[in-house]
Parts: sequence; C-alpha cells; structure tokens
Amino acid sequence: MKAKISALMDGELEGREAAGALEALRADGEVRDSWRTYHLISDAMRDTRALSAGFGERLAARLAAEPTVLAPKWGGRALSRLGERRWQVLSAAASIAAIGFVSVAYVTQEPVAPQPLAAGAPAPQVEIVQVAPPEAANDYLLAHQTYSPRVSLQGVSMYVRPVSSESRSPRQ
Amino acid sequence: MLRALGFALAFCSAWEVLAQSPAQVQAPADAMALLRRIYQATEKLSYSGTFVYQQGERTETSRIDRIAAPGGDIERLEVLDGMPREIVRTRDTVRCYLPESQTVKVERRLDQRAFPGMLPEQISELARNYSISRGERVRIAGYDCEAVVLTPKDDLRYGYKLWADVNSGMLLKARTFNRKGETVEQFTFAQLTIGNVARERVRARSAAQKWRVEDAAVAPANLSRAGWTMGAELPGFRKLTEVTRHLGDARPVGQMVYSDGMVAVSVFIEPIAGRAEPVRPGLSSLGAFHIYTREVADHVVTVVGEAPAASVQRMANQVEYRRPQ
Repeated sequence: MKAKISALMDGELEGREAAGALEALRADGEVRDSWRTYHLISDAMRDTRALSAGFGERLAARLAAEPTVLAPKWGGRALSRLGERRWQVLSAAASIAAIGFVSVAYVTQEPVAPQPLAAGAPAPQVEIVQVAPPEAANDYLLAHQTYSPRVSLQGVSMYVRPVSSESRSPRQ
Repeated sequence: MLRALGFALAFCSAWEVLAQSPAQVQAPADAMALLRRIYQATEKLSYSGTFVYQQGERTETSRIDRIAAPGGDIERLEVLDGMPREIVRTRDTVRCYLPESQTVKVERRLDQRAFPGMLPEQISELARNYSISRGERVRIAGYDCEAVVLTPKDDLRYGYKLWADVNSGMLLKARTFNRKGETVEQFTFAQLTIGNVARERVRARSAAQKWRVEDAAVAPANLSRAGWTMGAELPGFRKLTEVTRHLGDARPVGQMVYSDGMVAVSVFIEPIAGRAEPVRPGLSSLGAFHIYTREVADHVVTVVGEAPAASVQRMANQVEYRRPQ
C-alpha cells in the first residue's frame, strides 16, 4: 500500500486504483500517517513554507460545507461514480488538505518517524487485523455500559453483558 | 376510553413528527408512540422477573427486580448461570459484585441526564438514523405483545426489534440484528410480574464488607483541550460526555462517549507508559461489542462499541492527537 500511496502522491494512479488508495487513506490511520510523512519529506526537500495550524481541517470543513458537486460526499460508492474531471478536482483538493496536515506536523513538531520511500517496499495489509480481546475487556465494557442509552430502554438487564465472560481468578 | 386515549396519543405524535425535520417524517406515528411507551414503562414500572440473554452460543438466565419510586429507583440483577454476579443500580450509582474475585466495582455517574430515561425529543431523534415501523403481535411469557422495529438507515449500526406488553408497554423481548438479519443478541423474559416489589428484593445479597472495592472515580474532563480530537465524527453520532476515570485496579484513562441515541461508542485513551499488558493493535469481538485498539502518540486508544466492526474501527481511526498550543 505504501508504494500505492507514493504513486498516488505523484499522480500516477488512475480510476479504480486511485479510489482503492483513497479508501485505504480513509480507513487506515497507518496509511494516512505514511501519506503525511511522505508529504513532509517531499516538502522538506523542496523547502516549502508551512501553512498556519489547522489549515487542513478548516479547508476540509469548508469543502464539506460546499453545496456544489465539486465536493461530493466522501464515500466509496459516490467516488466510483464520479467522472474524470471531478475526480481531478477532488484529487487536487485532497492534495491541498494534505498540505494542511503537513503544516500541522511542522508547527507542532510532533515526532514523525521518517519512513523509506522505496517504491518496492512491501505493501502492508489494509484488512482488519483480528486480535484477542484486551485483558481488561470487561472493565472497558462496564465503563462503557453506564453511558449506553440502551440502559434507558432496558434498565439494569444490560449489565448482564459486560461481566458475562469475566473469568479472572480470585485475588489474594 | 382507552381507544380515545390511544387516538389522542397517536395524534400528538403525528403532530410532533410533522413538526420535525423531513428526515423524521417517515416514522409512522403509531410505531413512534409504541417506542415512547416502552421507554416510559422502563422508567415508571416496578417488576420482578426472569429473563434469558442469548448471544452466539451463550445462553444465560438472570433474575431481575426493580422498584420505581420518585427520586429513588433501585434495580437488582442476579445472573443465575455460570459465574455468579450481582449488579445493583440506583439513580446515580452502579455496584457490580463479583463473588469469585471478592470484588465490588463501583461506577458513579456525574450527570444524570441519560439515567432517568430518555426525553421525548431524544426518542424522536432516533428516526434520523433508523426507520421505525410496527411489527406483528405475539404472546411472550403470558403477555400479549406488540412489536416495533428499528431498521438502520446505513451500515454503521445494528437493527433492533422490541416486543412490549400491549397494556403496560413493558419490554418483554429485545433482539439486535445485523444487516443480514441475523441475531446478534437477544433478551427475552421467561417470567414477569408487574407491580409491587418488596424492598428486600433489590438489596445486594453479597456479604461484601471485606471485599476489594474498585471505584471508577469518574471526574469531568476536557480531553479536546488536552489535544485529543476526532477528525470526523461517525455520521449520526454525537459526543455525549467526556470524563477521566479509573479502569479496574487503578489505571487512569480518558473516556469520550459518542451516541446515536440508541447505542454508544466509547473511546478510551491511556498512556502506553506504565502499562503491564502489551498493546495488541487490531479488532476483537466480544459478544455484541467490538473493540478496536490502536496506538496514537504514545497512547493506547481503545474504542468499544455496540456497533458493527467497521463503525468501531472507523471511529478509532479518527482519533487524533495534536499537542495543545
């Protein structure tokens, strides 16, 4: 995926491939981190001036509020239906938003680990990684349950869920 | 008389529905009225009963008693199968008694907004994210019940079917279903008596004087001022509250809660430093819940939601940290 993101940045992806890469950007925080890092590196190499903090968010908000077809609702299905021309506009908008993200990284100087830009780097999986529940899962569920509106609907019976599989050994 | 009252209720609801935004007009007034009756019954009725909780392969029977009194509702739940446990809930406190580990987990609510039932306008808001319709009439645990179905308008949430007693509005059965219509979890009363409940029935039975107490020590917080924000909120979900609290023994964590009115998604944030347990990034499923864990800026972000996996993951991926200026 990293190779794809790099290609997307360079404008080398088209149609479905680009849509896939954008979908990965939307869904995967790690991919987004790569996107920002690549832009940071590229900007640093070109000595680009940083924009004000929060520029990306403000621009994204303005785009989202824009009623014209130039800022369609963000979504896979809507994206695939778009024509070539709108697609380019969107891509340009995404690039501008990315500059905003980069500037945030510049201004706040968050630690950003530089990542290799090698085109042949192995692409990480985008699929959801299934893991065992955290050891404190029941504590999380109990903490969550108190705020669930379903308690208004079903009362204390909802609490059968958080502690249902609690099987911790007795403490000394 | 009853019919006249029913008509009046339906009329009021129809008027309210018309007064709402266009997105809400689709909910039929009678389905909406039934949904309101269920919420009211949950808040106002005293009852004793036994219900069965089903989730996947698991089936558990529990005893439940509730006393509704002005300003002092008390509910007690005792799980009869498997590991014994008891939960007593008052207006602002939940105590969870775990005899095997001799532990009492105490959870206090700061604001009582969502505790004493939902406001009528909050119930109307459900029609933004769910299509609300009437279901068939069936008999459950000796009660004639009518059903209301909440079908999600997108893939971000589950659907619900609720069966309530025709006379009292008491919820007898609740089924959560996924987009394929498969059951995710189900609550069904096997036996129920509505009416007076003796006081001793809602008192904790556990002799917990010497047990270890885990107090969540919930305190108000402003996590966004501390630098934690959501890039974009999940459509239809709004922030309900943000607090700091203890988890289990004493791990301090931040918690942001988002809700669509029917369910909630919690975002827990805790520093990686000092954690005994290794971080396992990824998704796990626990019954009707999904849990998604990821690392953000030397912190562990754990998102817990009674929603489809994709929603929980999407929410987790929106968590951002920016050092405060």
